[in-house]
Amino acid sequence: MITATRKPFAEIAALLEPFDRVLVLGCGTCVTVCMAGGEKEVGILASTLRLADREKGRKREVLEATIERQCDREFFDVVREKIEAADAVLSMACGVGAQFAGEVFPDAMVLPGLDTKFYGTTLEQGVWSERCSGCGTCVIADFGGVCPVTRCSKSLLNGPCGGSADGKCEVDPKTIDCGWQLIYDRMTRLGIADRLEKVQPLKDWSTGHHGGPGKIVREDAKL
Amino acid sequence: MSARVAPARITALLCENSAWKAYLDVAGAPELAGIDVVRLPCSGKTETGLVLRMLEAGSRGVLVVGCPKENCEYVRGSDRADRRVASARAALAEAGVRADRVRMEFVSSVESHRLLAVARDFAASLDKEATT
Repeated sequence: MITATRKPFAEIAALLEPFDRVLVLGCGTCVTVCMAGGEKEVGILASTLRLADREKGRKREVLEATIERQCDREFFDVVREKIEAADAVLSMACGVGAQFAGEVFPDAMVLPGLDTKFYGTTLEQGVWSERCSGCGTCVIADFGGVCPVTRCSKSLLNGPCGGSADGKCEVDPKTIDCGWQLIYDRMTRLGIADRLEKVQPLKDWSTGHHGGPGKIVREDAKL
Repeated sequence: MSARVAPARITALLCENSAWKAYLDVAGAPELAGIDVVRLPCSGKTETGLVLRMLEAGSRGVLVVGCPKENCEYVRGSDRADRRVASARAALAEAGVRADRVRMEFVSSVESHRLLAVARDFAASLDKEATT
């Protein structure tokens, strides 16, 4: 899933300061799972904004809604009227949804309520961890199913570097596992550690963001 | 419902395994006259957003009372409630609203006297807030 965290309240309050009719718009998919921008988080933020306004004696309308996804056009239909009536929409989706909301409603002032982080997994409730960088050419088959691009802080395809100690990464030994230790352990477990003797060629980074904004066209799927 | 008009009342969310049982023994006590009681199957059912909405809806304060942590009926319910109350208090602080309008307490089923004391103290703290 795409993970995110909510922006600090002060930053959100500053973004919304000029507007008197605000819609806090949640997204029911990835950011609901990572507890950043789903219906519950929308409710908490909207209530906090209303309580703050009341404390300051400010008259402002703070509406709330959550749709299934903000990265697909059809799900916006149910909130069209609310969006068009709002002075500003605070999107509680990832950067994809927040941008796409502005594309679907080009006249709407859409502002981000979240900071998008990474493609990750849920390790346990309340803990999410990065797994994929979206490089466009998956190489994990050569590394026992562990991605060196993402799990190694330096994205080394011919690792490890000299900064690995006790299975931890020098970037932050307290919290970051050495990606190459993970690769070695997994490949050893699978009985394929000898494949690490192969020197990996230069990777073509142009298939990811380094090649510009990505686009997929499936002629067979188009209507 | 006429008793629920101004002055604003306190909302108490009581765990049915502990505080609710304590409440049943003293339900008519004057300390509880200004309190709307909500029975929860577990204090861990408390939601941050719900607490904030209660304040929005006009509650003077929200008091969440669960089992003592070391004796929680559902093991982690009281701890969960405690963290959600902390989350609600943090949101109130961000909003510039006094965080002590929400409070977490732990009372066992036989501590009716403590429940009354907690209610009395919470109401007094809110009164103090209102006059300062």
